[in-house]
Amino acid sequence: MKVLVSGAGGFLGRFVVGRLLESGHDVRAIVRPTSTTPIWNESVEIFPADLRVQGNLKAAFDDIDAVLHLAAATAGNEDIQFASTVVATERFLEAMAHSSVKRLIHVSSLVVYDWARAKRIMDEDTPLLTAPYKMGGYTIAKIWQERVVTKFARTHSWDLTVLRPGFIWGPQHTQIAGMGRHIGKTYLMFGPLTRLPLSHVMNCADCLVAAIDRPAAIGETFNVIDGDEIQVWRYVREYARRSSQPGLMLPLPYFVGYGVARLASITSHALFGKRGKLPSLLTPGRFESQFKPLRFSTRKLHDVLDWRPPLTFEECVNLSYGLAGTENKDPVPL
Amino acid sequence: MNKLSGVLIGCGSIAREHLAAVADLENVQIVAVCDLSAARAQATAERFGIARSYTGHHQLLADVRPDLVHVTTIPSAHFPIVRDCLSAGLNVLCEKPITVDYREFQVLKKLATQNHSLLMENQNFRFHSGIRRVHQLLTAGQIGDVLEVQICLYLNIFDPNGAYADKNAAHSSAVLRGGIIGDFLTHIGYLAYMFTGPVLDVRTIWTKHNGDSLFPFDQLRGLIKGQRATAYVSFSGNAQPDGFWVRVVGTKAHVETNLYEPPRFTVRRLRRGEPALMKLADGIAESGDVFKGSAVGFWRKLGGTSSYDGLSALIAGTYLAVDGRVPPPVSLEEIDAVACLVERLTTDLLP
Repeated sequence: MKVLVSGAGGFLGRFVVGRLLESGHDVRAIVRPTSTTPIWNESVEIFPADLRVQGNLKAAFDDIDAVLHLAAATAGNEDIQFASTVVATERFLEAMAHSSVKRLIHVSSLVVYDWARAKRIMDEDTPLLTAPYKMGGYTIAKIWQERVVTKFARTHSWDLTVLRPGFIWGPQHTQIAGMGRHIGKTYLMFGPLTRLPLSHVMNCADCLVAAIDRPAAIGETFNVIDGDEIQVWRYVREYARRSSQPGLMLPLPYFVGYGVARLASITSHALFGKRGKLPSLLTPGRFESQFKPLRFSTRKLHDVLDWRPPLTFEECVNLSYGLAGTENKDPVPL
Repeated sequence: MNKLSGVLIGCGSIAREHLAAVADLENVQIVAVCDLSAARAQATAERFGIARSYTGHHQLLADVRPDLVHVTTIPSAHFPIVRDCLSAGLNVLCEKPITVDYREFQVLKKLATQNHSLLMENQNFRFHSGIRRVHQLLTAGQIGDVLEVQICLYLNIFDPNGAYADKNAAHSSAVLRGGIIGDFLTHIGYLAYMFTGPVLDVRTIWTKHNGDSLFPFDQLRGLIKGQRATAYVSFSGNAQPDGFWVRVVGTKAHVETNLYEPPRFTVRRLRRGEPALMKLADGIAESGDVFKGSAVGFWRKLGGTSSYDGLSALIAGTYLAVDGRVPPPVSLEEIDAVACLVERLTTDLLP
């Protein structure tokens, strides 16, 4: 199968291309023109393009059997993220609509769920967030990106699979938002026993390729996580130890942190009405989407996709911290 | 009471500022928005509870006849859209710079005059709380005669997560003469013009400090000789921290405000008395002003007050003018004079 990968030069994209090659697929990789092209097998066809820029993308879909759409921004202000994630997706899918390609695998995120309405277990039936505008730019963009993808797929009768990974982590991307906050030499953990919806980048890549290969995935949505056994304290402990950044691990019960955020929100509303602005940690919806103590179901991944993560947490840790200076500066969003 | 109706074309970040400002006006309703991206138009409509969204302005103008069209697209799209709106006899409030080229502005001015349409450019800092305070002091005679105004804009245009320094997608202002700096020349131009009056002479130096950057220039220094006063203007894409400083030097006092940090405002007056004591009094007064400005600025930030100070007043004034109750906030002749000044600030860049 020949697979077109958008966002191939990104953190996840690089691993996905590698995994596709291992699985015997041919790959055409869309990489931004000025990005450093990863060292891949010579057989990878590079298609230099920036989806945000008007240009001819139609040729990218020639002779393609399936499309893996990963392109999205994880940094920048709300407008930059909307343009890079949503408007770019519109352009990409408009070009796809002119081709004969019918198979699309879209990589979304767990942030599209309404975390406030999630009770005990988050799975694929958890309601989606319908009014995202109090959330951050990443959440707004990912919600609209999924809406755009779904609409195009319905209009053009494409075979769509939506995959929603949790915290994607791996080499040089070990700091994740769910850890809490690293302030000076202190690790502030909101709910140290909270289970993290982790998706190691190599496991995630494996899952994405499995979704291409298995017809049962067509028309389905999957939350992509390795499992929910790893709790915040353990992840933070490994991070502090392996990245040589020891510090005080300060646990704070989730409900204390959430209560402070609620109080701040009520005060802001009383003083300033709807316009009041608070930082991410003091915005209840954003606090919940980072730290809410939930279980994360992998049942559908097992039952429908017949997929289990090939690497254990210990193996992932060894692979991710294998190189010196591998900690990233910006926390990885969901 | 019949509400005035508005539509908005171009749903980027500045559009949100317009829509938030309109939301505060009781007698105005935005009835439709438009963007080339259907998702961006729909997201904007959903967020602000607007009934209709379009992906082309021709269809929008065929369906709706608003009292005012807000044009908030990228600069290169202003001219064709504003021309279409004015040709249809509509009133327009356009983002700065109103056109990429001064000759295009002349076309729009002629159309607006012929069709008796209102044509307004967003010159929000004219109505900024800091600038209004300068005017109050001027009117009260506390600054004396204005001798000089210094307008210095410092902005980190090299932030890798920002929109300006993106190597893969050129910023929309790249088409302007002066590139990124051109995006700010209208603000600098009208602020200078407010104090200098009609321009007699302009001198500029355009330089590039960061040799590795994409931009042909990242610094501007300019001198403007006007009928009433002179202005020193500067833009630096390298100086940090960010700030938009306006300093007015008069025969009785100097006043200084950072437009990016409202309501920070300091006054240094000519005091009579023992000089050493007066310097101490100045220091105490200035410290108080700076602290008050910073504290209120922080409070405003918590309150979600727009950083586009003055935009609400400009939009409210524009709708009042549309309703025929007051003259436009900025006359067409003054918009013309500023567009002409901006052209002159970039004359040295012509081949």
